[in-house]
Amino acid sequence: MTEPITDFLGLVALTVVPYALCSLGIMITGRTGIFNIAGEGIMMVGASAGFLGAYATGNPIVGVIAGLAASALYSLLLPYFSETLRINQFIIGTCLFVFGMGLADLIYKSAVGLQTTAAQVPTLPKIPVPGLDQIPIVSALFNQNVIVYFSYVITAVLFFLLFKTRLGLSIRAVGENPKAADVVGINVTRTRYTATIVGGALMGIAGAYFPLEITGTYMPLITGGRGFIAVGLTIFASWKPERILAGSFLFAGVEALAYKLQIVNTGIPYEFLSMLPFITVLVLMLAFYKRAEYPAAIGSPYSRE
Amino acid sequence: MKTASNAKLDLYWSIAKPYILAVLVAFGIIALIILILGYNPLQAFSTIIFVPFGSVYGIMETIKKFIPLLLTGFAFAVPLKARIFNIGGWGQMLAGAIASIVTALALENAGLPSAVFVPLLLLTGVIGGILWAAIPALFVAFFRINEVVSTIMMNFIGVYFVKFITAAQPWTEPFAGNPTTRPIPSNATLVLFGVGPYAELIVGAVAMSVIYVLMNKTVIGYEIKATGANLKAARVFGINAKLTLFLSLIIGGMFAGLSGAVEVIGVHYRLIEGFEQTGGATYASLGILVALACNGDPVGLPIAAFLMAALLIGGGAMQQTMGVPVEIIFIAEVTVVLVILILRKVRMGHII
Repeated sequence: MTEPITDFLGLVALTVVPYALCSLGIMITGRTGIFNIAGEGIMMVGASAGFLGAYATGNPIVGVIAGLAASALYSLLLPYFSETLRINQFIIGTCLFVFGMGLADLIYKSAVGLQTTAAQVPTLPKIPVPGLDQIPIVSALFNQNVIVYFSYVITAVLFFLLFKTRLGLSIRAVGENPKAADVVGINVTRTRYTATIVGGALMGIAGAYFPLEITGTYMPLITGGRGFIAVGLTIFASWKPERILAGSFLFAGVEALAYKLQIVNTGIPYEFLSMLPFITVLVLMLAFYKRAEYPAAIGSPYSRE
Repeated sequence: MKTASNAKLDLYWSIAKPYILAVLVAFGIIALIILILGYNPLQAFSTIIFVPFGSVYGIMETIKKFIPLLLTGFAFAVPLKARIFNIGGWGQMLAGAIASIVTALALENAGLPSAVFVPLLLLTGVIGGILWAAIPALFVAFFRINEVVSTIMMNFIGVYFVKFITAAQPWTEPFAGNPTTRPIPSNATLVLFGVGPYAELIVGAVAMSVIYVLMNKTVIGYEIKATGANLKAARVFGINAKLTLFLSLIIGGMFAGLSGAVEVIGVHYRLIEGFEQTGGATYASLGILVALACNGDPVGLPIAAFLMAALLIGGGAMQQTMGVPVEIIFIAEVTVVLVILILRKVRMGHII
């Protein structure tokens, strides 16, 4: 009788990755005081580069690394404009979102060219974790591709890093009170650049995951708004890694549910089911508005003056 | 010694300089990309410049792109003056389109004269835009919930709403190739002398005048600017800041909603899924770039929108005749905006 539950949970775990990795990327960037709302565009760059990496080598892992590298490099533009040139973070974020969508399609088109059938790459194989994949129901979480496990692990790593290490303390200090951090000798600008690149790398993995997860193909708008859901998710997860993972399971659950309901034909038009994740964000934002916290220095560039 | 006219020229030059520089830098970068991709940049640029203005057809097509860019540009620019980031122009445009097509098809046999029907449909478009902006406006004004996220969520809800309307009875045209509604009756079409773009220009002119008067001659326009300039000071001077933030987003939604209605009754005469996409982007996201390029200035915005419309037409032609991907245009536009931003060093400080 556990078969349908295991099946559903398996789908949820597969869907968790982009939400979790993109939100963690926004979180680690935001913790240093830079609000990265361009996740959707950065993920698209990762998706395009990730596809091409796998397309050129036939190896999906190379694809993931290509996506990671491309997005990390691309996200470097954000601190350059917001810190070094001191231009409003939301304006630059919006530009990088729009720019990323165009850039991703351009790279894909110029490398693959126009074809009648979509170009195909090998997808990430499932690697069951020995032992854990034998437990009923829970096994669904441990019979997945390697990026799913990576999402679990990186959540734990970031939690440990942020709250149990000296480095984590410096990162949070930069996001809460950059002036004080500067006084005690932390390089604010370098911390912000590094965090944005690390965050961009996580978004790149999330982006590359889209073509390499199931379909093996790239298409425009493949990220489907999840980069923006991740912004909302990060806010009401109060920029905490463990809450982000929990929230990602919630959104993956909503998405998987909408998908399953379409198959069983409930009479509800599928378009309304597809709206569910977006409506969920609005409802949660309203429910959590009083508790929504931000790193205190988010949004403002730092200078000694 | 400088003469008076020289001083005036200097002033114009200082205003125009960043824009000219931005365009030159952007074209330089684009030329480089086109070269790397193995095409001839000179041929590409001559296509971009001549096609949009070289024929009546080209000019008409440019106008068709100009109006939605103008209106969605205003949809971003007005809230921006209150420091509200309305990324939801896309959804508000879709809502306006849905409202007007549903009304047009509901009243298709009512026999209304065009002089009543067309303004009514434009008005329903505006109302659709207001409704779509209302939730994020309430959220940001009264609960301080970040409007960037909420407006974007409304966008995606709108996208699926359009998918629904174009595929469901009684609106759908079942045997059309792509999802679309039935056409609107002829008394609902926005045309002048048998041509859509002329009528669109009138809508655009009215919108421009409304924006100009609103922002420069009315209390609410003053309050929006004051609230954006300094929220605390505005409160001290007795401005109801919450209401002002709310209204700024609602006014933005009105213009985006209007643009949706214009597309339905003035360009396509039906609701087609994906009508809001152009050259790989949505009109609304390009409208944001337009508004950013001119810092939301009501006089500069039409110029920026028109140039962007010409670029879109030229870029489309470039893709057709030379095979250069149209996304290059897209990248050119963002580059122009970024260069202008750098040159102007926009500093808006802390925003949440």
